[in-house]
Parts: sequence; C-alpha cells; structure tokens
Amino acid sequence: MIVTILELRARVLRFLQKFQLVVEPIVKFIIAYAVFHSINNAIGHQPQLMSLPAELLLSLLGTFTPPVLLVLLAALVSLAHVYVASPLLAILVAILMAVLYCFIARFSGKYGYAVLAVPILFLLKIPYAVPLVLGLVATPTAIIPVACGVIVYRMFVVINSVALLGDSMAIEDILLMYVDVIDRLVADKQMLVTIAVFFIIILVMYLMRKLSIEYVFEISVAVGAIVCILGFLIADLALQTELNIISMVFGTVGSMLIALVFQFFRLALDYTAVERVQFEDDDYYYYVKAVPKINLTVPERSVKRISPQNGTEFPETEERRQEREELLSEEERYAMGDELDEAADEDVDAENGDL
Amino acid sequence: MLNNRKVRLMTRLAIYEQTEGKEDVRISKYFQTDYVRLNVLKSVVAVTFGYLLILLLLVVYHSEYLIREAVTLDYQGLLSKYLGIYIILLVVYCSVGMIGYMLKYRSSRKKLAKYFRMLRRLRSLYREEAVELTEEGKDKE
Repeated sequence: MIVTILELRARVLRFLQKFQLVVEPIVKFIIAYAVFHSINNAIGHQPQLMSLPAELLLSLLGTFTPPVLLVLLAALVSLAHVYVASPLLAILVAILMAVLYCFIARFSGKYGYAVLAVPILFLLKIPYAVPLVLGLVATPTAIIPVACGVIVYRMFVVINSVALLGDSMAIEDILLMYVDVIDRLVADKQMLVTIAVFFIIILVMYLMRKLSIEYVFEISVAVGAIVCILGFLIADLALQTELNIISMVFGTVGSMLIALVFQFFRLALDYTAVERVQFEDDDYYYYVKAVPKINLTVPERSVKRISPQNGTEFPETEERRQEREELLSEEERYAMGDELDEAADEDVDAENGDL
Repeated sequence: MLNNRKVRLMTRLAIYEQTEGKEDVRISKYFQTDYVRLNVLKSVVAVTFGYLLILLLLVVYHSEYLIREAVTLDYQGLLSKYLGIYIILLVVYCSVGMIGYMLKYRSSRKKLAKYFRMLRRLRSLYREEAVELTEEGKDKE
C-alpha cells in the first residue's frame, strides 16, 4: 500500500519535471480561472465580466503574466463588480485597498499569493489550508499576506451585505451607508479573531517543525489543525463571533488533509533508516541525526523490443532479473507490474512515431 | 564533449540568475546604507499616503459632526493628536524597516557571494579544460 503511494509520488514528480513547460501554464490558468470564477460567484454584479468568454480571457491573461498582475487584475475585477452595485462603495473599496497596500501588503514578499488564496479558499470553506501550508514552509512573517487576505475577504463580505440593501443616490443615504460600512468593518470581531488564530497557527508550526523528533512535519500539521479548532472555539465562546462551528471543524480537517498531501509531495522522509553519528573536531562535539529522503526510483522502463515491426522480444537476462528481485519484494513487484509494461509499450510507440 | 560537472554548475547558476538572483543583483548595485535609506524612504511615502487616505475616510465619516461643530472645534488639539499618531507610525515603520531591509541586504549579499564562488569554480573548470586541450594538441604534434 505504502509502496504504491510512494511509487505514485515518484511518478507524479517525474511527470511534473518532465512536462514542467506544459504543466506550469495549465496550473496557472486553473488558478486564475478559479480566482475569477469565485469572484464572479461571490460579488458578481457586472454581467459582461461574468460571461464565460470574459472569464476565460481574463484567466488567459493571468496565465502569461507575473503573479503580481493576477492580484491586480483580481482587484480590478472585484472593483468593477462593486462599481456596478454602487459607485460609492467602489470608491470606498479602492481607498481601503490602497490603505491596505500602503501599510501592510507592500511587505508581502514571496508569499504574496496568499492575499488572493485566503479569500478564494474562504469561499471554498477551507481557508485554514493557507496557514497550515505556510506553517510548513514559511517564517512567521508570512502572516502579513495572510492577514491582508483575511481583511480583503471580510471587507467584501461587509460590502456585499451592504450592496444588497440597494443603492440610492441621495447624499443623506450615501453618507448613512458609508458610516454603516465603516462601523461594520471596525466592529468585525471575526476578522481580528481569524487573523490572530492564523498567526498563532503559523507561529506554533514554525516553532514545532524545528524540533528534532520523528514525523515532525506531519505532527506540526496536526498540532496546527488542533490550534485552529481550539482557537476558533475559544474565540467563539469568549466573543460570540457567530461562527459556524461545524463548517469550521470540517474545513479544518479538509485543510489538514491538503497540508498533509502538500507535505508528502514536498518532502518524504524515511524515519526507519535514521542515522545517528557523533564526532568531534577542535571546537565542537557533534550529535548528528540524518534522516534519509525516500527516493524511490521508479524502475526505468526496460524497452524489451528493439525492432517492434516483427515483434521479437528479447528475453530478460538472468543478471537483470536478479537485480530486480533484489530491489523489490514479490508483493511490491505485483503492485507495479502491469502498469509498467503498458508504459514501456507507449514509450516505444512514441519513439517510433518520432522516427 | 559534454562536461557533466560544468553542465551541472551552469544549470545551478542559471536557476539562481533567473529567480532570486535578479533581485539580489539589483540590490547589490546599492551600498547597504543607500539601499536601506531608499527603501525606508519609500515606506515613509507609502505610510504618509495611506495615513492621508485614512484621514480622508475619517473626515467623511465624521463629516456631519465636523460641519455642525466647525466653529467650536479644538483644531489645535486635533492637529497635535493626529500628527502625534502619524509620527509614532513613522517611527515604527522606519525602525522596523531599517532592521528588515538591513537583514535583507545582508542575506542577498551572502547569496551573491555563493553565486560568485560557483562562478569561480566554473572558470577553473574552463581553465582545466583549456589545459587539457592544449596538452592533447601537443601530443598530436
């Protein structure tokens, strides 16, 4: 079972390496499409932008431009939607975004994507995946883009609820609406709680993953998830944040799975083969613990047929067979046997095609 | 003939050049003090702009009150209060920015140093190759 999964991992990684040139734009396109589609779903007021061609065009634009531009495009699209609902609110949102940029978002650094990821994942009910994944790879400064993302999301929640109340052009009403929005934003406990809990998750995971214990990454993901659930529960009890507890718990579990899958593909360590060595030099005494990475080499495709036209197959040499048997146990070989042969055939076909 | 060691080294160099390296090279064009000062200055501009926007939001928020009390307002008190907040903000941003950008500068310098070490190794590889070639040439003669 585990060997099959590891095998799959090796295969996927090799596939990604091989077809990086193709896979990368596709992934970027999917991300961009998810971004624009969820913006349209959440605050769609501008019908032209909501049509499928517009979505696809925007996603295509997001595919071939640097990530910063995707964030900018997403901001502009959301502004356009809000503008249709209420021009005044759009101005307000633009100002708030500018303030956010001036004070915090400038310092996002290389995890700037999180500004977009948090709101999008909020819509999918799994925003907790962001701190859980960043806790594995980033330093606590990653809270900056995450906090921006949370603020942006809560801002749009408030704006949307106000925009639904309808728009009127009288100065009195505009002022009232404006005061109402600001009041709601400032009194938004949920926003502060979310930022605080996310920060604690990232911090705890960051401190934990430096410990020298086995399965430390997996454990820190689990601890992060527990912190997440407890943090939101305590905050809900203490501050009555009107949180949907069930969706939060399930969201956290889902996010935890995402983080674990991410970790599995990032780094798989073999804790059964830990090496411990001790030695000294002039200045220090060293206790070294070395954990090998699992490096399951997918057995190279053995192309058996040299001239497939007449279908002659070379028998496996004795030497080769012994080599293979040493490498793999019976069961493992069974697990990967059939597939491999198929793959080998395809390869041969492809090569013939080229020739 | 392909030299595997050379290819490996050049690949690593190219990867660095095309990702983090760009930023590091850009940073390396400044002295540390200049780099830190420039970025702190940028922060000052951004904070000032952001603060003005916040003030604008505040003024609109309290516009009714402001218009009603326009004559009796304690302008001096208000001014000193908001100026005080602004100065505190500036001090915080400048000090944090100074430390942050200094650390960033140093780390980018370290990475560049590593990059140059690799470049030197590449150069020595080229030299080795050249020596080998000339020796082969001599042998043939």
